[in-house]
Amino acid sequence: MNDGYMGKFLCVDLEAKTSLKLKVPDWLKQDYVGGKGFGAKLLSDLAPPGVDPLGPDNLLMFLTGPLCSTPAPAMRTCVVCKSPATHTFLDSYVGGRFGAEIKFAGYDGIIIRGTASDPVYLWIEDDRIEFRSAAKIWGSDALKANELIKQDLGHQEATVATIGQAGENGVLFSLICCEYNRQAGRGGAGAVMGSKKLKGIAIKGSQLVKVNRPDLFQQAVKKANRDIESAGDCSALTESGTSYAVPWSSSIGLLPYKNHSEQHDPKVNKIDDAAQDKHLFLGKSACFGCPIRCSQMGAVRTGKFASFVTDIIEYETVAMLGSNLAISNIRDIAYLNKLCDTLGMDSISAGAVIAFAFEAAEKELIQSPEKANLEFGSTKAAEHLLKSIALQEDELGKLLGQGVKKAAEQIGHDAPDFALHVKGLEIPGWGVKGSPGMGLAYATADRGACHQRGFPIGYEYGGALYKGEVVEPHSIEKKAEILIGDQNYLAGLDTLIKCDFGAFGVTAQSYIELLNAVTGLERPQSFIDELGERIWNLVRLFNLREGLDTGSDTLPAKLTGKALENGPLKGQRMKSEDLDLMLKEYYMIRNWDREGRPITKHLKQLGLNKERRFSIEKQLIAPENDEVKD
Amino acid sequence: MACSAWLFGGYNPHRSALNIDHANENLYHFPVVCNQCENTYCAKVCPADAIYRDQETGAIVVDQEKCVGCKKEFCHEYCPIKVIHVDPFTRKAYKCDLCGGSPRCVESCPTGALELVVRVNTDQEEDR
Repeated sequence: MNDGYMGKFLCVDLEAKTSLKLKVPDWLKQDYVGGKGFGAKLLSDLAPPGVDPLGPDNLLMFLTGPLCSTPAPAMRTCVVCKSPATHTFLDSYVGGRFGAEIKFAGYDGIIIRGTASDPVYLWIEDDRIEFRSAAKIWGSDALKANELIKQDLGHQEATVATIGQAGENGVLFSLICCEYNRQAGRGGAGAVMGSKKLKGIAIKGSQLVKVNRPDLFQQAVKKANRDIESAGDCSALTESGTSYAVPWSSSIGLLPYKNHSEQHDPKVNKIDDAAQDKHLFLGKSACFGCPIRCSQMGAVRTGKFASFVTDIIEYETVAMLGSNLAISNIRDIAYLNKLCDTLGMDSISAGAVIAFAFEAAEKELIQSPEKANLEFGSTKAAEHLLKSIALQEDELGKLLGQGVKKAAEQIGHDAPDFALHVKGLEIPGWGVKGSPGMGLAYATADRGACHQRGFPIGYEYGGALYKGEVVEPHSIEKKAEILIGDQNYLAGLDTLIKCDFGAFGVTAQSYIELLNAVTGLERPQSFIDELGERIWNLVRLFNLREGLDTGSDTLPAKLTGKALENGPLKGQRMKSEDLDLMLKEYYMIRNWDREGRPITKHLKQLGLNKERRFSIEKQLIAPENDEVKD
Repeated sequence: MACSAWLFGGYNPHRSALNIDHANENLYHFPVVCNQCENTYCAKVCPADAIYRDQETGAIVVDQEKCVGCKKEFCHEYCPIKVIHVDPFTRKAYKCDLCGGSPRCVESCPTGALELVVRVNTDQEEDR
């Protein structure tokens, strides 16, 4: 049936070096659609409760949705596993080209289990799956590994995802580098891949992705493209990528500075979009099938680290490796970003960890290493820490490679107060003082501190109206309601799998028209919100099953502490009483009990009480005839 | 993607008639489309004489009836920019036929980056 799906999952066992093809059953497509929906259901059903995130039984999944690999604009791919940093659900979304190839090879997703005895990489070419030795590639950085894998295969046109040394060495904020400069897996998906001794995945496919109603689909694509064309935020992204948000964030007072001690950077004009345009940008690049082309490719041409190719320095990276460390040389930030990309680490968490280390050194809780003095503003110290963390070459690197939560617990004293994380995932590059909605968003995001599960700043400062009304930025009123609406809607769109930047333009109506045309089903616009709510609750159930402490729906002491002393939001703070009030309201609207557990009656309403389980045995396709076993 | 949809009824850029090559971590992009050459190497090396110029559109096209799907794949091998392809399933050659004069890639490009232009030779001969 032509419905945008390929109809199969590829299930790989690295220990046995075998692969299976599993049918994607109709009920899974209908109830979970793809991406986050598939991930939540498959991880809940296939991972044993209490699974060790770095053990062989954890699953590492690369999942698509029905609109991926089609001309529907701005679609991405989803990586799901249990996180070694938070011990809860990890879902991460990545652009580039890697994900598109999964469907071209004939699969709706790749499910990886087991641990290889020796380093391997996977070569997937349609039905042909090879487990190839990565003995000579292990130890190389993520970009070098990409090159070596292509050389080894003799296929320059393969698309490759790799891990760097950080993933090999179990750094809890290591990522998977998807060709090119597209990183997946905040929360340590790189370490999960490394624990499986899987250095990379190369893929190429010749299958066709077919849609149910081609004419309607083409119309829907044109409409969605028009949505993007007429959206101011999308045009700004085409012009200068997310770097355009740097001066805005500092001007409204939300750009973190010195481990969130302040929320504006006095030297912001050295690291903003204009500075990047002057010193870095050369041309644009687009992810697969995306008309926005937010990527601004360029090169560092002068200075100490010249020369190397660099992608745009994204807002989050500028915030976390720049202003939050009080580093104001854009070339230095580009270099630190490149180190994160090649060593295979999340630049958000890495920046947060370095800022934490600088503050800990300032407070004399840790000692600077011989080679670099740990202090705000020091590129040299940041460089030293990134390398020692990724390579795990000294005690400090080993301490910090676990992320701020665990490092602070080991350091003791008041270190946990300024270890900025929620549930073990570091706080990204938006301040919360003066933005109570964002505070609640971090506290309740399903994967720990995340700015992408809901972004109330858009209402508080970005001019977005809520039900036609202006939202008061500093008030806590309606913030829980607004956030829940966003979380549900975005979780629904994460099944498709939308890029956040596309969603700045494409309307809910256009998304549903795309989905209906591709699948041939007739769904109302409300389907996205309802689906999102079901998935949000399913993920909550998974997290509770895996031991989530509901008391962890909170913020670290430093963020609920004293008011800002400088900047546009001088005097603003995030009171813990306010957070408690918003959280109480949040649980109530979510139909969760006072401890944040979904109530049975609501689960029934969502259809989550007696669910069908996805089982590998039941969905197995016999290799000879591609028929389902039973 | 519009190209593979036109040719084969589904999306996959590896099955399209044009290539977009990327280099140096995506710093450079090179769209490669058939030049509809005057000196048609692909047609000259075809052992079945299956490749000819469509007089109406000016495009060099493959007669699918005549193409024997030879294993030598000379048309692909001797194309200077590798824009005549062999279908992995039928083994027959396919290439850009300008969609009969109204190229789908031009029609569907969301940013309007593509257009169909007519090349006029200095000796006033009109070609495409």
